[in-house]
Amino acid sequence: MKLRLILGVMLLVGFAAGTDLGTVGTEAQTKSTLVDVDKAKALGSPNAPVTMEVFSDFQCPACKAYYETVWRRLIDNYVNTGKVYLVHRDFPLPAHAYSRIAANYANAAARIGKYTAVERALFEAQEAWSVSGDVDGTVAKALTPKEMIKVRALVKADALKAGIDKDVERGHLFNVSQTPTTIFHSQGQTFPYGGQVNYDILRQFLDQLIGQR
Amino acid sequence: MMQSFPLTLRRAFIWLGRLVLGGIFLYAGYAKIVLPTMHPRPPLGVALTFFAMQVDSYQLLPPWGVTFVAHTLPFAEVALGLLLLAGWGLRIWSTLVSLIMAGFFAAVVRSYALGLEINCGCFATPEKLTGITVLRDGLLLALVLLMTVFAFQEARAPHPWTAPQKPEPQTPKSQ
Repeated sequence: MKLRLILGVMLLVGFAAGTDLGTVGTEAQTKSTLVDVDKAKALGSPNAPVTMEVFSDFQCPACKAYYETVWRRLIDNYVNTGKVYLVHRDFPLPAHAYSRIAANYANAAARIGKYTAVERALFEAQEAWSVSGDVDGTVAKALTPKEMIKVRALVKADALKAGIDKDVERGHLFNVSQTPTTIFHSQGQTFPYGGQVNYDILRQFLDQLIGQR
Repeated sequence: MMQSFPLTLRRAFIWLGRLVLGGIFLYAGYAKIVLPTMHPRPPLGVALTFFAMQVDSYQLLPPWGVTFVAHTLPFAEVALGLLLLAGWGLRIWSTLVSLIMAGFFAAVVRSYALGLEINCGCFATPEKLTGITVLRDGLLLALVLLMTVFAFQEARAPHPWTAPQKPEPQTPKSQ
């Protein structure tokens, strides 16, 4: 019996000592360093104790639900109070026919400072344009005709592809395979989390992250 | 005198089950509490609330239930892992592990059938729930169920080392 207990304790110690591997060195640094942040697609203060990088797809129903149930409360309670820096990353999934087009329009809107309005319009009317493919018409409802001319010109010029591709590339660094995926950064730590989350549960995690300062 | 070699197939299976399941439970609990792949290591509260988000992704429990499971399950896993490895009270603990594994397997199958794109949350690292996860958990459930049945059978059978020796036939005394 004593021998068994000793073996058990030895195994526990072995786990503690032996599993201290994982993300180390330059990979960890690359992951914890925020790069290529399009400030027009980010909310809050870059000096906030927690940064959330959200990889999202405008045509994904889970992203819409995340936006509607979590996003707004998060902005009110954590972003606007300087606790969280919220960075939007585009991750259009190949399975969605219009998500790349929607991302193009949203990024074009970001260039003229209208990202938030277009993001809201795209998520709110997702069911409609996901079927009809009328992304242009959906965005047009959220912008003035003058703004829409600028957005269309940017989309036509295809100058936004590089920015979206960079976001996708960054997603691959974190092995993102689904949307929404959120990468939490705090104190040099990186917590990748795939899928939706209940706001009350998220709040507990954010409070703990902020509290470790 | 020893009657037979004590390592039967049944006992070997129990040993295998104890080592495999004990090791897996111990590591699963430890990984959730410590987050060993994270640098720098986060405090316990961060690790447990991070695990709570993974529990929540199964969409089975209300927020208070999620918090309760996330704050108790990792410690229960460590304790059960140690108890399985130690082999003390095996019938009780393997029954409890069977119940936990059955519950977890049911949750995994449900999520897979519903097509929920979630992380398994098994070892606190991002691991997408796939058919392989379902298969792995099914095999582990089969292992723990068999181990539990064998543990009960073994308890009923007398141990060969301690079994009473058969009385030697007495030679009739010549008068």
